[in-house]
Amino acid sequence: MSGSIANRIYASLLSDKEGSASRNFFLSALLWSLLGMGAGLLAAAEFAMPDLVHNVPQLSMPHLRMWHVNAVAIGWLSMGYVGSMFHMVPTLCKNKLWSERLGNFTMWVWNALMIAALCTLLNGNTEGREYAELGAILDVMVVIGLITVAWNIYMTLVKRKVKKLYVSLWYFLGSLFWFPLVYVIGQRAFVALPGLNDAIVGWFYGHNILGMWFTTVGVGMMYFLLPRLTQAPLYSHGLSMLGFWGIALFYAPTGTHHILQSPAPEWLKAIAVISSIFLLVPVLTVLTNFFMTMKGKWGMVVTDMPLRFAMTSAIFYLITCVQGPFQATRWVNWYLHFSQWVVGHAHLALLGTFSFILTSSFYYSMPRLTGKNWYSQGLIRSHYWLKTLGFILMMVSLTTAGLVQAAGWAFGIPVDQWSLQIRPYWFLRELSGIMILLGQCIFAYNVFKTLYTPATAPAAVKPSIKASEVRA
Amino acid sequence: MGQSNPFIRLKEAVKTSWSVLIALWLNLFKNTYGLAALGIMTTFFIIIFSTVLVPMQLFWPKQSGHGNDYTIAKAGDAHRGRQIYVREGCFYCHSQFTRLQDRGYGPLVRAGDYYKDNDQTYETPHVLGTARTGPDLTNEGGRMSSEWQKAHLVNPRAVKPGSIMPSFSFLSDNDMNDLVTYIQTLGNKRKVEHFVQAPDEYMPTTEAGQKLLARKTVDTASSAAANAGRGIYTQNCAVCHGLEGYGNGPNAITLEKKPANFSRSFYKQYPDEFWFYRVSEGVPGTRMPRFGEVLTEEQRWYLVSYLKTLPKDKEVVIDQIDQLNKVQPVKLPTLTEQQYEPHTGG
Repeated sequence: MSGSIANRIYASLLSDKEGSASRNFFLSALLWSLLGMGAGLLAAAEFAMPDLVHNVPQLSMPHLRMWHVNAVAIGWLSMGYVGSMFHMVPTLCKNKLWSERLGNFTMWVWNALMIAALCTLLNGNTEGREYAELGAILDVMVVIGLITVAWNIYMTLVKRKVKKLYVSLWYFLGSLFWFPLVYVIGQRAFVALPGLNDAIVGWFYGHNILGMWFTTVGVGMMYFLLPRLTQAPLYSHGLSMLGFWGIALFYAPTGTHHILQSPAPEWLKAIAVISSIFLLVPVLTVLTNFFMTMKGKWGMVVTDMPLRFAMTSAIFYLITCVQGPFQATRWVNWYLHFSQWVVGHAHLALLGTFSFILTSSFYYSMPRLTGKNWYSQGLIRSHYWLKTLGFILMMVSLTTAGLVQAAGWAFGIPVDQWSLQIRPYWFLRELSGIMILLGQCIFAYNVFKTLYTPATAPAAVKPSIKASEVRA
Repeated sequence: MGQSNPFIRLKEAVKTSWSVLIALWLNLFKNTYGLAALGIMTTFFIIIFSTVLVPMQLFWPKQSGHGNDYTIAKAGDAHRGRQIYVREGCFYCHSQFTRLQDRGYGPLVRAGDYYKDNDQTYETPHVLGTARTGPDLTNEGGRMSSEWQKAHLVNPRAVKPGSIMPSFSFLSDNDMNDLVTYIQTLGNKRKVEHFVQAPDEYMPTTEAGQKLLARKTVDTASSAAANAGRGIYTQNCAVCHGLEGYGNGPNAITLEKKPANFSRSFYKQYPDEFWFYRVSEGVPGTRMPRFGEVLTEEQRWYLVSYLKTLPKDKEVVIDQIDQLNKVQPVKLPTLTEQQYEPHTGG
């Protein structure tokens, strides 16, 4: 009978309740975001006050940085993306997720991997390549996670109840095909490459974790959310297809622009720079589509918080994608490379754009997954303002620090001279980090109150959304 | 819901999914989406081919012989030091490739520097770096004494006040020794005549440089020229650099960035053009003015010939910090034959 303890544990750990995999992925992502952003904040504090933590190897800046990057990329963004896809794909296919059990299994693998990453990276057990720091066993776990997710989504799609594939599905399918392969290549599996070849492959991966995963899934989420939040049809399906193929073609070869001034082969650098500039085409196509869909609907961002997060993300996306090709050209790269400007750019993409769209998706999906309304709209607003203003402050301080630094390198000023000049910006960045983390804590508190406290009077005022209604 | 044996259910699920996959494959070419899926795969593989596989085939430079040699050092294990460099994440803030515009950071790197024949694991993982929150370390070996390097790792701000480098005092003696050994091997095969070179416009390789040399009438090696330069030095330079060039002039006490101490040995390898460039254009980021606006070319050449005669003694390389003596003394490699200019210029 089903009453046996083993079966009960099995049923609770690998629940097959509808929407449970998506919900669990979202909640895990939120947990890792707090730890990841917290590590980033502490690392930023060590920039401003270098002797803040002394003699604790686990909390030294480089170790915190490894964990920060992996926690927000593999933990917060990737897990949140999977959670979003587990909600969006069945919705678009008008059926259920193929297997909630498999989804929950992936969730446990992923969480185990993140716990192991926390323990290893803080102790410096790294493979020593940016964005590919995780050790071999953890890489295998990531690949298992990605393949099971891909399998689950593909099977959901195969069993879909609608004929036409919406553009979001294109992006999700493409990403889930590309990214596991890019990840395997990026880990230099089975080969040892010396010096520059290692760097070329490393930056192919380093840039494509962004281009073939964060961007493509993020844009797919935006395509899903915008028409739903605005109740308006997408401006153009043709444009969305152009954008999709443009990203698929031009994103992958851009990696070498990270080592533009190293002795890497010139032809490869040329391909990277040209592709980087050509990326303006799909990016502007995609954004035209978004902004034209918003035509006449801009007033909605006043009251609709998920939409406000989504449109802020779109605006940051515009800035980051104009900045990117600009700084990938040799003339600008000559000046700006190696500086904090680039760090600002990376945060503009991952925090400004993709973290915002994920937050929008979180706020949109969670009520539909659990049937519970948000505990407080005020907390969502404070989250929005802390995150947005905090991020703008971070961007301004890092960009300014980057310009000072770049001038220092260009005019041959010794490092310990300009490093004194940019100290104020380290403090500003620290302040911005405090704002962003505070926003994220408010977010987590709101989620906790929404999901784990019994509904009180306000529920009667606003009838909660039934998961089944939305799905129908 | 009916809980049958989970493993049987899993088996059935796998069975169904396989049959669906085969059906999908058979239908792939019947509908447009299948074709599109094929398009996605083709695009992707073309890109992988052109930007990952082709470079690995076409780009495989021969060893230049100027790459770092990790086997020379006897005081510690430079190979292990490199692993510690990676483990402690040094490459996040320090790059290891010099660019044309990085004056004062030593010779440019060539592609072959990162390769060694019959050694696939040489320089892997790469430590080229992408940000310079700290200085470039391509040619760091020999710039500073090993004791200085160690003191700097233990307490960076004790020997370099502006630094924001984290303290690595938690490293064991063994780790510290190997790491310093590694740092001292960086650039140990890049031998150059002069470590620092003036910008192109001062060198005979350019038209501007040729014109400059054509106008030069002073024999900078002669003692007569040095004598002529002494007066110019006393009037313009001594107030900061001191009468004998120890960097201890009366103004020095008021300056946050201390004036250069010309008694240090790396100044002895400055070529004439570099002295002339420094005097003419000053040192950015310090109070050192652009004397090109005050002194004539002839006066500056006289000054150069005097600067070359300043004594080389009272050389102070290590700053005192107490912690250094508390750590068990370890044998560290001695300096290479060349004394390099530190990044601070003094």
